Amino acid sequence: MSLSQWVPLVVLFTLATLFALFSVTIAPYIGPRRYNKAKLEAYECGIEPTPTPPGGSRFPVKFYLTAMLFIIFDIEIVFLYPWAVAFDSLGMFGFVEMLLFIVTVFVAYTYVWRRGGLDWD
Amino acid sequence: MNDIQLPAIDYAALLPMLIVFGAACVGILVEAFAPRGWRFVIQVSLTIGGLVAGLVAIIVNRDLEITTIGGAVTVDGPGLFLQGAIIILGIVSLGLIAERRLERGGPFVAEAAHAANSDGDKRQEREPGATEVFPLTLFAIAGMMLFCVSGDLLTMFVALEVFSLPLYLLCGLARRRRLISQEAALKYFLLGAFASAFFLYGVALLYGYAGTVSLTGIREGVLQSEQSGILLAAGLALLAIGLLFKAAAVPFHVWTPDVYQGAPTPVTALMAACTKAAAFGGLLRVFNVAFETTAWDWQPVLATVAILTMVVGSILAVAQTDIKRLLAYSSVANAGYLLVGVVSLNGAVGSSLFYLIAYGFSVLGAFAMVTLVRDSEGEATHLSRWAGLGKGSPLFSALFTFLMLGFAGIPLTSGFTSKFALFSSAWDSDQSVLVIVGVLSSVVLAFPYLKVVVLLWLNPPGEETPTVSVPSMLTRAVIFAGVAVTFVLGVAPSFLLDIVADAGPFLAK
Amino acid sequence: MGLDAFGHDPFWLVIIKILAVFVFLIVSTILMIWFERRVVGRMQHRPGPNRYGPFGLLQSVADALKLALKEDIMPTLADKAVYFIAPIISIMCAFTAWAVIPFGPEVSIFGVRSPLQITDVPVAVLVVLACSGLGVYGIVLGGWASGSTYPLLGALRSAAQVISYEVALGLSIVAVFMLSGSMSTSEIVMSQGENPPIQLSLLGMELNFNVPGWYAILLLPSFIIFMISMVGETNRAPFDLPEAESELVGGFHTEYSSLKFAMFFLAEYINMFTVSAMCVTLFLGGWRAPWPISIWGEANTGWWPILWFLGKVWVFMFVFVWLRGTMPRLRYDQFMRLGWKVLIPLNLVWILVVAGVRVSTQQENGTTKTLVIGGVVLLAGAVILFYPRRKQYVEPATADLGLGGFPVPPLDLKVPPSPRTKKIEATREKASVGTDSKTDTTGEEG
Repeated sequence: MSLSQWVPLVVLFTLATLFALFSVTIAPYIGPRRYNKAKLEAYECGIEPTPTPPGGSRFPVKFYLTAMLFIIFDIEIVFLYPWAVAFDSLGMFGFVEMLLFIVTVFVAYTYVWRRGGLDWD
Repeated sequence: MNDIQLPAIDYAALLPMLIVFGAACVGILVEAFAPRGWRFVIQVSLTIGGLVAGLVAIIVNRDLEITTIGGAVTVDGPGLFLQGAIIILGIVSLGLIAERRLERGGPFVAEAAHAANSDGDKRQEREPGATEVFPLTLFAIAGMMLFCVSGDLLTMFVALEVFSLPLYLLCGLARRRRLISQEAALKYFLLGAFASAFFLYGVALLYGYAGTVSLTGIREGVLQSEQSGILLAAGLALLAIGLLFKAAAVPFHVWTPDVYQGAPTPVTALMAACTKAAAFGGLLRVFNVAFETTAWDWQPVLATVAILTMVVGSILAVAQTDIKRLLAYSSVANAGYLLVGVVSLNGAVGSSLFYLIAYGFSVLGAFAMVTLVRDSEGEATHLSRWAGLGKGSPLFSALFTFLMLGFAGIPLTSGFTSKFALFSSAWDSDQSVLVIVGVLSSVVLAFPYLKVVVLLWLNPPGEETPTVSVPSMLTRAVIFAGVAVTFVLGVAPSFLLDIVADAGPFLAK
Repeated sequence: MGLDAFGHDPFWLVIIKILAVFVFLIVSTILMIWFERRVVGRMQHRPGPNRYGPFGLLQSVADALKLALKEDIMPTLADKAVYFIAPIISIMCAFTAWAVIPFGPEVSIFGVRSPLQITDVPVAVLVVLACSGLGVYGIVLGGWASGSTYPLLGALRSAAQVISYEVALGLSIVAVFMLSGSMSTSEIVMSQGENPPIQLSLLGMELNFNVPGWYAILLLPSFIIFMISMVGETNRAPFDLPEAESELVGGFHTEYSSLKFAMFFLAEYINMFTVSAMCVTLFLGGWRAPWPISIWGEANTGWWPILWFLGKVWVFMFVFVWLRGTMPRLRYDQFMRLGWKVLIPLNLVWILVVAGVRVSTQQENGTTKTLVIGGVVLLAGAVILFYPRRKQYVEPATADLGLGGFPVPPLDLKVPPSPRTKKIEATREKASVGTDSKTDTTGEEG
């Protein structure tokens, strides 16, 4: 295994970045520029824009909750992937261990479910 | 692909931790499925049952000395002793957590996330508190148990997080004075997260130096590594910062007074007794097992930290006007004494363990008594409010006086025997400077304790002296345990000293 | 062919491959936009774009050019730097994922033997997942930096949605890794070429048969879950809540115009191609020829596989369009419930079932075998049995008077005129006609 396998990926990444950078940079120069104050305001279907408090507005705690749950399950996935790849060599031991792990996560999952953490209003 | 070595697992050695973790998981299921009215009873019995079962398992294991799960866990004499100490102190502090007579619905709120003084917060004032505190406590205790027996730094980090996260949450659950409680939780969380980051960074550097994260591996690697010594020094320093933060050593102590004051008093008691035991268990293991061979490099630094901790803790304690803050600074100073034990390495392991038990019981008793002094606003923790309590409540004041004298290190209390044992073993390990500073600072530290005693008995009562509430059996049992152990260890310390002597050194192979 | 085949290409070949993929993606996107409009048009009984070029093929090209020549607006309230960077992040991630998508087997390009794939790494599938995960940053930052309400809401919804479905997506491919024993895309495609023999012993009878190696057949539940969550992951109908035009105008890109908007648009369509290509690679045998063609021995060699691969990808693109043409948008709570309460537990149980069956085939001991299979079946049964039923809809006691039970005034309500209207009326001369109904009409206005 060598790092040379990664070189094309890096090249593609660089080219894509350059492409995007180029497009976004030239956009103001090839388009027309007709100043109009209303254009530069936040678009809210024609009504006066809602003023937002400085530092951004607060949004529902639900989003934070979802983000935290995501992290829990993402960590679970992180553990599942290498286990799955090496499954055949881990055999019965790996199966039982992962069973215990999934059951443990299920305990937390059940708690969140029963407490309404997964309901969206 | 097929050369994966499956680690051998000694389930008997892990049994105490598995029991406590399992009980915590069952506790979560109880939260999910049991009807609301039943939860409290089920949780309390489940928690106590789990802890007692864990204790029994530890006693059965008492002679075990083994390294298992591929070196992740090292069960040895001091480790088992610490686990037992944490479980016993945990059972005792559970009496405070489960107390529901002093305050309608217990010392905790149902939902910590309500903004302080908001409508939702007001509404939950009369609701029964969250029963999640019991599984959380179990997780914290299980994490501490793992912390004391982890055989490598990564397991140690996981254990550190497992016991820290529930504590952060518990800190924010106080029923009264919500804002200060939430502030405490946030402060503890932010600083704790920093400390964890330091710890992890240290682990990374040490891995770079020694090529392994196992404690015994580092012990070997330290001698053979060809890497630059800066890696070792920096890694060790960062690791120590992470650990010293949990132990509340100066200059990493700043969270202690605020968190101790803001957290619900039962949780403060849990932190003062169990977290201290776990943090020093970890410190003792790391320094005795992994870094014993490089002791010359770090001993002067740690000695400086110990001196600073003792001096700053005891001097600042003098200036406190709040009983919880006073106990917090006294806990900082006590961390300094324990650090003397860490610096003295193997010579003082036994007396450090003894100290942890003695201090833990005294501090549990003291915080249990703090929960009793109340007025309409909840606990009255300001010292001026305590003036003249001795007139109205002589029994309370007598017991509190006894505990204060114990902290001050008066003979016939555990405070004296534990300090004596610790300092004499440190003296034998040639840490004479530390011992002298320790003795001097404990003289200074005696002053605030005696100030409280004077306040209780000799000052005239103020206009609005709070009342001393009558608690349920649980808190009474805690106070009794605290006072009794303080007394017994002061009069007849030898049986516990024998046990810690039998525990022997840390397993370093 | 394993992972060793990669990383040896001369640099000019790398560049050629990359440019080819670049062109392929942009042309496909343009084609896809035309395709989508035509097909949706057909589904809605209208012709769709048919003016420019044969069958309106050049419509998208014209649109793209027009878009580039539009005014580029930077809103006053926008966070300038972030607003500028967001579309770049989107595009970066969208393109990079294609570095590991296999188009075909090893062929000879200008005398160099090389696989039809830019590169492959041991964790290729993770690279794709990472790209889709990082792509969310483009959306969230774009929406947040616009300094406007609709984009912020769209961005938040989008973040919640993508991370919710990423869990389901990530879990659904665990079973694939288990069977293929690898996370590299080329090896997963290779492993689907074998037809694993299945032995079943039922009541003493030995049944031997070969099943096709496509994981879509072996792991049907995983495949279905992947399909569902890939639609959620790409913000497409019926899961297009972040861009619900009837609720949020355009979602996170409301404030974007000109080429910056085009970047988001392009990234979104490339992401559709990416998930389709991943689905083909993981579950439908990648570039391997489908059944009737695979009888022809040369089907899986040379340049032909590109054709099979593209064919399969375009089937998925048609499914995307089809879904958009037929399905109404889900409500947000329904959508989250599907992700968290259905797909995730289903996934975990399915993983355990697959693991149990696979581990039991390794066992020599018959009793252990039966025990494991029995235990797994019991577990799955228990989960299905105890899966909470949906709450039955209870008919409300009083009749719903419209607007979902909200209090609604009766239809024949007489609205008394407001004091202000009365005052105006009093000062105004009465019109000579229609005075009887006047009170009513002005009353409604007030």
